[in-house]
Amino acid sequence: MSRDSFHFDGNPIEFRDGQSVAAALTDAGQLALRRTAKGDPRGMFCGMGVCQECLVTIDGVPNRRACMTAAAKGLKIVPQIAFPVLEDMPAAQKPDPARILEPDVAIIGGGAGGLSAAIAARQAGASVIVLDERKVAGGQYYKQSASHPPLDAQQREGAALLKRAQESGADVLGSVEIWGAFDGPLFLADSEGAALIVRPKTAIIATGAYERPCMVPGWTLPGVMTTGAAQTLWRSYLTLPGKRIAICGSGPLNAQVALELAEGGADVAMVAEAARAPWRVPWHAFAALMADPGLVIKGLGMMRDLHRRGISLRHQTTLSRVDADGESLRATFKTASDEEIAETVDALCINSGFEPQNEILRLLGAKMTYDPAFGHLRCDRDTKMETSVRNIFAVGDCAGLGGAPAARVEGLIAGRVAAARAGFGDAHDLFSHQRRLARHRRFQASLWKMHDISPRTPDKAARDTIVCRCEEITLGDILDGLETSPGHVGTLKRATRVGMGRCQGRYCGPVATRLVAQTTGKPVDDFSNFAPRVPIKPVSIASILAAQEALDDPD
Amino acid sequence: MTPTDILVIGGGIVGQVTAIELAQAGARITVVDAGINAGSTANAGSLHVQMQSRFMRLYPDQVPNIEASLPLYCQAVEEWRRLDAAYGPFELVRKGGLMLAEDATQLAFLEKKAAREAKKGVSVEILDRPALERIVPWLGPQIIGAELCRNEGKVNPLAANTRLRAVADALGVRFEQDHIRTLSAGNRIVAIGDRDTYPADRVVVAAAWGAGALVQGLGVAIPSVAEPLHMNITEASSARIEHLVQHAERSITLKQFKTGQIVIGGGWSAQHRGALRVPAVAPSSLLGNVSLAAKLVPAIGHMRIIRTWAGMNTTIDGASVIGPLPANDRVVMAVPGDAGYTLGPLVAKLAASCLLGQPDHGVIDRYTPARFAV
Repeated sequence: MSRDSFHFDGNPIEFRDGQSVAAALTDAGQLALRRTAKGDPRGMFCGMGVCQECLVTIDGVPNRRACMTAAAKGLKIVPQIAFPVLEDMPAAQKPDPARILEPDVAIIGGGAGGLSAAIAARQAGASVIVLDERKVAGGQYYKQSASHPPLDAQQREGAALLKRAQESGADVLGSVEIWGAFDGPLFLADSEGAALIVRPKTAIIATGAYERPCMVPGWTLPGVMTTGAAQTLWRSYLTLPGKRIAICGSGPLNAQVALELAEGGADVAMVAEAARAPWRVPWHAFAALMADPGLVIKGLGMMRDLHRRGISLRHQTTLSRVDADGESLRATFKTASDEEIAETVDALCINSGFEPQNEILRLLGAKMTYDPAFGHLRCDRDTKMETSVRNIFAVGDCAGLGGAPAARVEGLIAGRVAAARAGFGDAHDLFSHQRRLARHRRFQASLWKMHDISPRTPDKAARDTIVCRCEEITLGDILDGLETSPGHVGTLKRATRVGMGRCQGRYCGPVATRLVAQTTGKPVDDFSNFAPRVPIKPVSIASILAAQEALDDPD
Repeated sequence: MTPTDILVIGGGIVGQVTAIELAQAGARITVVDAGINAGSTANAGSLHVQMQSRFMRLYPDQVPNIEASLPLYCQAVEEWRRLDAAYGPFELVRKGGLMLAEDATQLAFLEKKAAREAKKGVSVEILDRPALERIVPWLGPQIIGAELCRNEGKVNPLAANTRLRAVADALGVRFEQDHIRTLSAGNRIVAIGDRDTYPADRVVVAAAWGAGALVQGLGVAIPSVAEPLHMNITEASSARIEHLVQHAERSITLKQFKTGQIVIGGGWSAQHRGALRVPAVAPSSLLGNVSLAAKLVPAIGHMRIIRTWAGMNTTIDGASVIGPLPANDRVVMAVPGDAGYTLGPLVAKLAASCLLGQPDHGVIDRYTPARFAV
């Protein structure tokens, strides 16, 4: 069967219906997508629109994310140009008219928590819109596909949840990127070039989390990607990140994705897990078993399946560096006995935990508390999932890592309470929800004690490790900056440019904040991080113009 | 605390340059700064000379003072060039500033303004559309002409602030982070902060909008006002926009750093949240400011805004406040009247000259704090 194609750098690239540009290029073995201002090659990293590394120029328009753009016939794509020429760009087209939405409940994020909240709020009778960045909602846990039927139970569960949300009468809008959140609340978004203005009575923030990398020399090389990015390639687009793969970091996602990719035909060389083996921490394992026997059995099954497939799962083994080795990557690890081992792979997947996507919550002024065990902020919430800002609710991982099952229950609670706040139902008797939530939280607590996601800073000996990918700021640059500008991470940012790039400090920010805390001796708190700023994600000037014209219109 | 000859309150561009000037003369200097809401650290680096239409519209009563200060602005840009040569590079570019007109009324306004400015020694010229197209081919089609002010330019304030701080450090200037609440004048001047007290022989008040409150017990009532302003920055494109772009009637500055990012600002308001919290970005300013830029320079439509922020501008009466207090000559004011970053190094140098016993009366007498004596 002949397939449609687009052009990348002059070469035809075939794609399957529903694939992203990044997935089609990965299938074609094209992992390097651009060169930085300093000339380093970069490729897709996060796979979810956060890192801004997979930028390409599409039909003359610069800085489009390959991971978030659907492949289409005849597109002329070239690697991103670090400094595109203004006169070479096509004239900005008149975008579709902006839309103004004023629902009872606006839900930001259509994952496990958001979709559950939508169903609950609709059942109470409130008008509900769900805004999701991806073309197909479902979130990072359920990862839905635009083209193929569900691969397994997890994807089926997500498909069923999405269907229920849609059938509930909630308006689930895909490809919507929220870039502004203001008091009111007022949300400003971009929907494929058209502006969206949302003024709800109440809002439920369910924006999930993104992955924490292992920051070692070479982590910016094309082919190094987050474990979630590799999972999205496979689950959403049936694309393998490479033929031979290694996975490292800590947490259950790594083992799960190893199995999924192996099932898809990849040769998984190794899963390196930073934590000790569960049989070395039997009390945590026992606590997890008590909280949720089903999930523990699922976890044990994964370890058995890894063994059956001959995939080596090495505990207490961490990534120490990555080097380019011809077309491949050479990943070097350090084992429990301080031994160095190396694997040559096409792709290296890394996940050392998660960072909440709490930008909207912080912008709206919701109070946060630092969780030193997880190394990230948790949003202060009452038992009804309401934040310190009235009528703003937070559910799921954006409020602090908690997992999909907890997110679903939190969504049910927040959906009912937000609807009641808007005048629908009374949100009476949430007891059974609260009890289930407590159980999920007990499981999560023991689960993460079996892994090693404690907040880290890069090895100070490796001064040339890049910390800020966007601005290409090394650990050495930051350590030098700390000598003269130690007071706050904001001062460090102005002195070194750390965090000034397109991803807005999402990867370097937590590390720079920890380095400042180490230097000053002041503990990390709500105000230790970069100040929250709009836009939440880079937004085109044309889209801002469209929003302004819609709001200016007297009709 | 260790002995200090001169305490400088405020560690922005004025405080840093004052400290450098004085330390070079051999004085022991301590700079104390609150570490938040400094105008300089949020500044976007426009070097203004021509009278800003925004300012003329908002503060018509201050226009005579601004107009009288025009030679100071010309001199201030020269001072920036001197600093850039001595301590730079700060990515200083001086290709001039363009104030755009979209209709005949606006152009007529610019013509009159240019004539007034020329009398004060500013290098200005009115350009028609064809003349504009030859130097800036990327303007929107509605622009019919502009005033070009050749004195204007831009610096990268991040580069300038960082390098000047390093210069001060190398000269042994001490930096303290504290929020000074009051000044008390006895045998020595004592600055009382939240964390500590700072006795000094003499004090320089380089505290911008906070200056008035600091000296209110010392015989002057300086009406310094904080004006939180909104800024936007894009991702990088190839550097094509060399001029500082403004508008004859509407609030905007638009320029491009050598590193390619386009900075859009020009006086849209942000929400003041008190002295110890940074101002909040207002959606109406973000939308209005960026939309106006998109209309004036349509070629930037595909570029993305990656960050916005708000910083403090300071207004007083249109003129700077430089020199010793009439009631206490051990307290020296160093506060630019508007466009504080442009005027900052020159105001610092003039204030330092007072402390070094060589005041330039010909320049500073016009800006004396005595005009606010109570």
